[in-house]
Amino acid sequence: MAKERSFTEKEGYFGDFGGRYSPEILTEALIELEDTYNKLRKDKKFQKDLEFYRKNYIGRPSPLTYAEKLTKAWGGAKIWLKREDLNHTGAHKINNTIGQALIAKAMGKRRIIAETGAGQHGVATATVGALFEFETAIFMGEEDLRRQKLNAIRMQMLGAKVIGVSSGTATLKDATSEAMRDWALNVSNTHYIVGSVIGPHPFPTIVRDFQKVVGEESKKQFKKENDKLPDAVVACVGGGSNAMGMFYGFLNDKKVKLYGVEAGGRGPSPGEHSATMLFGKTGFLHGTKTLVIQDEGGQVVPAHSVSAGLDYPGVGPEHAHLHSSGRVTYETVSDQGALDAFMEVCRVEGIIPALETAHAFRFAKDLAKELGKKKDILICLSGRGDKDVAEVARLVGFSQGDLI
Amino acid sequence: MSAIKSVFSDSKSAFIPYISLGDPNYDLCVDWADALIRGGADILELGIPFSDPVADGPVIQKAFKRALANPFSMDTILETTEKIHSLHPHIPLVYLTYFNPIFHYGFEKFAEKAKIAGIQGMIIPDLPYDTPETDELFKSLKRRGVDLIHLVTPATPLNRMKGIRDFASGFIYYVTSYGVTGERKSISADLEDRIKITKEVISLPVSAGFGISDADQAKEISQYADGIIIGSAVQRIIEENGSNPSLCRKKLEEYAQSISGSLRGKN
Repeated sequence: MAKERSFTEKEGYFGDFGGRYSPEILTEALIELEDTYNKLRKDKKFQKDLEFYRKNYIGRPSPLTYAEKLTKAWGGAKIWLKREDLNHTGAHKINNTIGQALIAKAMGKRRIIAETGAGQHGVATATVGALFEFETAIFMGEEDLRRQKLNAIRMQMLGAKVIGVSSGTATLKDATSEAMRDWALNVSNTHYIVGSVIGPHPFPTIVRDFQKVVGEESKKQFKKENDKLPDAVVACVGGGSNAMGMFYGFLNDKKVKLYGVEAGGRGPSPGEHSATMLFGKTGFLHGTKTLVIQDEGGQVVPAHSVSAGLDYPGVGPEHAHLHSSGRVTYETVSDQGALDAFMEVCRVEGIIPALETAHAFRFAKDLAKELGKKKDILICLSGRGDKDVAEVARLVGFSQGDLI
Repeated sequence: MSAIKSVFSDSKSAFIPYISLGDPNYDLCVDWADALIRGGADILELGIPFSDPVADGPVIQKAFKRALANPFSMDTILETTEKIHSLHPHIPLVYLTYFNPIFHYGFEKFAEKAKIAGIQGMIIPDLPYDTPETDELFKSLKRRGVDLIHLVTPATPLNRMKGIRDFASGFIYYVTSYGVTGERKSISADLEDRIKITKEVISLPVSAGFGISDADQAKEISQYADGIIIGSAVQRIIEENGSNPSLCRKKLEEYAQSISGSLRGKN
C-alpha cells in the first residue's frame, strides 16, 4: 500500500499550487536541474559569475526613476519606475536567461530552447545563446510572429532558429507545449529555458530567484532615496515573472500593498481576456498545478490580450498562492486601457513602455488618484515597447499627421 | 487478478491499439473501436481529448483538435465508452488522458462512472507517481478495481521505477523512445534490456508503445514485450479515411489483423 506523503515548498509547492506534473520522460531532467541548481545557488563561483554578468552585461542595477511628469499628470500619489526596460535586450527577461544559461553550462548542455510570446524572452534567450555559444531554438506562435516581427528578426540575427508554431491558437500556450515536446525529444543535450514563473518544479522557483533581483534592488534604491518603503507596488502579470521578481522583495513588508495587473482584453467572455485570477480555476497546465482559464469540461480556453506577452491562460503557481492567501491583489485592465496608457506614457514621460507594462500603468493611474499625494507607487517597467510600436500604430490608427 | 492483467500471458503478446474519442465524432468512434477489436485488439486504449496534449505528437494533436470541434463533455465520453463496452464486454478498455479533465470532473465521480462505463484502467501521462493527487486517485481507482497504468521511459532510473511500483497496476506502458507519440523508423538498441529490467523491478506485464507503426516492428518487439501499443499509426488511418466510414472501418480492421497476426504467439 502506498505511503502517505506530504509536499512542501522545497518540492515546488506554494500552498496548494505548484509541483511537477510533467511527462515521465522529462522527470529525470527536472530532477537533474533541481539538484544542479541547489548546488549552484550556494556556490560562490556561480554567484560571482552571475554578479559579473548582471553588472557588466545586463547593466544592473537598473535605475529607479521618479516619474515627475506622470505624477503631475495623474494628480495623485508619486510615481516611481523600476527601469527594467533599460537592461540589455530591453526587458527583465535577460535576468533569468543569463542565470539559466549559466546553469545549462554547468550541466554540460550544448543546446538551449525557449518559448516566447511577445518575443522578449526569445530575444533574451537568443542573446545568451550567442554569448555562451549554445545552439538555440525558439518556439513562437504564428500569430505572435505576426504581431512581434521585430523580435523574431532580432532572434534570427542573434543566431537562433525561430520555429513558428501553428497548432492550437498559435500563441504562447502552444509555443510552450511545442517547446516541451522538443525537450522530451532532446532532453539529454538540451536545456529548456522556461521564461516565466510557470512550468514544472523547479522552474517557478528558479525563475523567481533570478528575477528577485528586481524587487531587492528596488527596495534598497527606494529606501535610500526616500528613507521609507513605497506604499504600493504594481506590476503586470502574464505568467508573472517580472511581478514575482518585484513582489518577492516586498512580501514580508506587510504595509506595502502589492498589485498584479492582468489583461482584461476585450471583455469578460471566455477567449476574450487573459484574466486568470478572476476567471481561472485550479487546474493542471504545462507541468504545474495552478489557476487556469478552462471550460466546464476542463479544456483550456484560449486567452486573448492586445499584448502577446500577457496572452497566457495560466499563471505562475506562486502567484496563484499569493492570490489565495490575499497577500497580493490582482486586477485587470482592458486592451483599450492598455493602449491609452501606452500612448499617455510615451507622450507624458518620454518612455515607450511594453504593452504588457502599459496594463500596469493604466491601473496605477487610478490607484494614484485613490491613494492621494502623500503616497508613493512603484511600478515595474518590465520592458520597452519598441516591439509593440507597429501593432499599436495599427490598432490606434496612428498616421503621419500624428507625428507633428 | 485484474481483467487487464489476465489478458497477458507468457506465451503471447497482446495488441493494444489506441483511438482518440470524438474523432471525427463520437458515434463513429464506436465503429472504429468495433473494427479494431474484430481485427484482434486484446485491450483498447481510448483517448480523452485535451486541448494541450504535451506528450503527444502531431497526429494525435490533430485528432484531439478534430475531436474538440465537437462539443466536449465527460458525460459524452462516458456514454461512448459504455457503447463500446456493450459491444465487446470481454475486451478491457483503458482511458489515456491528461489529468486536467479528470481533476475538473472530480476523482470520485469520475472513477465511479468510468468503472460503470466499462473502464478497467487509466493512463495519465502528466500525472507522475510522486504527486499528492496520485495518492488520492490511486486509492479511488483501487477501491473499484480499476488499474492505474504508469509510464516508464528510457530516462526513468531504477529508483523511480521502484517508486512507480507502489502505485502501478495492470501493466506498465514502456515508452520506447525519447520525444512524443508518433511513428518512427528505428527502435532503440537497448529496448529489450530496458524492458527486462522494468519487468524485474515492477513485476507487472510490460507493453511497449511510442513509435511503433508496422507489423515488422511489432513482431520484433513482441518477442520480449508483453504487449504492443499503437496509437499514431491507427489514428493516421482515421485521419486519412474518417470521412468515408465504411472504408475507414475496413482499413482499421485489416490493420489490426496485420499487427495482431504478427505478434508473438498469434501466428
